[in-house]
Amino acid sequence: MDPIVVLLIIVGLIVVIGLWYIVTMNALRQLEVKVEEADSGIDVALTKRFDALSKLVGATKGYAKHEAELFEKVTKWRKGLPAELTMEQKQEFQGRLNEVQSGINVAVENYPDLKADSLFINLQNSINEVEEHLQAARRLYNSNVSTINQRIVSFPTSIVAGMIALSKKEFFEAESAKRADVDVSF
Amino acid sequence: MDLLASYQATKKAAEKKILIGGPLAVISVALFLLVGLNSLVVQVLAGLLFLTGVILIIIGSVAFNKMVSDFKHNFLKGKIGEWIENGVYEPNAGLALDDVYRCEFMRHADRFHSEDYIRGSLDGVQFEMCDIKLEERRVEHTKNGTRTYYVPFFTGQFYRVDFNKTFNGSLQVLETERPQSKRPFKKIKMESVAFNKVYKTYTTNDHTAFYLITPQMMERMMKIEQDHPGNIGFAFLDDQMYLAIDNNRSLLEIQMFRPLDEKRIDAFKHDFQLIKDVIHELKLNQNIFKEIT
Repeated sequence: MDPIVVLLIIVGLIVVIGLWYIVTMNALRQLEVKVEEADSGIDVALTKRFDALSKLVGATKGYAKHEAELFEKVTKWRKGLPAELTMEQKQEFQGRLNEVQSGINVAVENYPDLKADSLFINLQNSINEVEEHLQAARRLYNSNVSTINQRIVSFPTSIVAGMIALSKKEFFEAESAKRADVDVSF
Repeated sequence: MDLLASYQATKKAAEKKILIGGPLAVISVALFLLVGLNSLVVQVLAGLLFLTGVILIIIGSVAFNKMVSDFKHNFLKGKIGEWIENGVYEPNAGLALDDVYRCEFMRHADRFHSEDYIRGSLDGVQFEMCDIKLEERRVEHTKNGTRTYYVPFFTGQFYRVDFNKTFNGSLQVLETERPQSKRPFKKIKMESVAFNKVYKTYTTNDHTAFYLITPQMMERMMKIEQDHPGNIGFAFLDDQMYLAIDNNRSLLEIQMFRPLDEKRIDAFKHDFQLIKDVIHELKLNQNIFKEIT
């Protein structure tokens, strides 16, 4: 075969592989950005949940002292939720919030007047809404993580992922046992 | 005799005329073709029979249509008022085509018809609905000339429900249609493979899609699809929810030669339950979807 043809084929192959590498790398980076966006969505939702819960703790301080104290412990995280928190730490943060909230739920059971209070009902509605948003943020994050993880482990995309040092992302696990406790139904 | 029985009697009388007129017309044509070609007497007789048959069919049809109209205006109107809070039923009215286009997934129609308009409130959630039929014009060029005809591409129910809740972005969940919108919709996948097989999800905001379509809602949307076979589309736009079910039928259809009795009324009520189902299935009646005053 003519050496020029061989050279052209090799150059062509290199160009094709190079283009594929760039396209794949960009796609992976875009997915990574989507995961980061979803991650920040969880941060926003967790912060909102914290804010809503702090209002609830304020409104029920006289009825649920233990929970108010528990909440103080969470408050040290308040500046809480720094950017460098790992997914595991965020889950722990959420676990603490769940603990406080379920404690309040149990405590106010003995106070029908409080349960009927319009401010309290509004706070509950607001917490319900925030909880829905947190669940949505968690599901969106996990969906994006699932997509990128599938790409990272699939050949030949896995080669590009390895070359740009992209590793599998961690899921945000729902704590189903605790979540069941948190079901706000006064 | 109660009101329903009197409607059934009127319906039966109308059907009887059609039942007699139809065969009479057919027999007269057969008579004309078989033995009347050479006999003037038979031709006249066949003609008279044919005329009688056609007149009976016309009288029967007019009586049937009048009965249907009376039944809807005087009977169903009251029933729907009982079934739905602040329920209003207008048999001859319907939503405008522009109202239907607001769902932003309905294709452009060349001919549109709507009827059986209902509005009211269920568990505090306002809604309105009607039967709609959308058709597109087809033009066929043949050696004999040009033929224009209309082909229906949507026949079914259209619902508009107040969402009472502000959400960012827009969402459409469609079986076969595609967004007909200027909004920057993009297709996304939900976590459920089964759901993604049935519905395509288009949104302008990923978070909104996951917020509105919870796993429970996915299951309920799948159940709606199973219970109401046809082409289904949901849209969540500007604090309104739209639902379109292309099932090739009317919600409050009265058919000829089928009894109009309590069982049929129960079937209407059951059909009507769909609106309630939709509101419940989508949790629109729950506090999270209700306006907090």
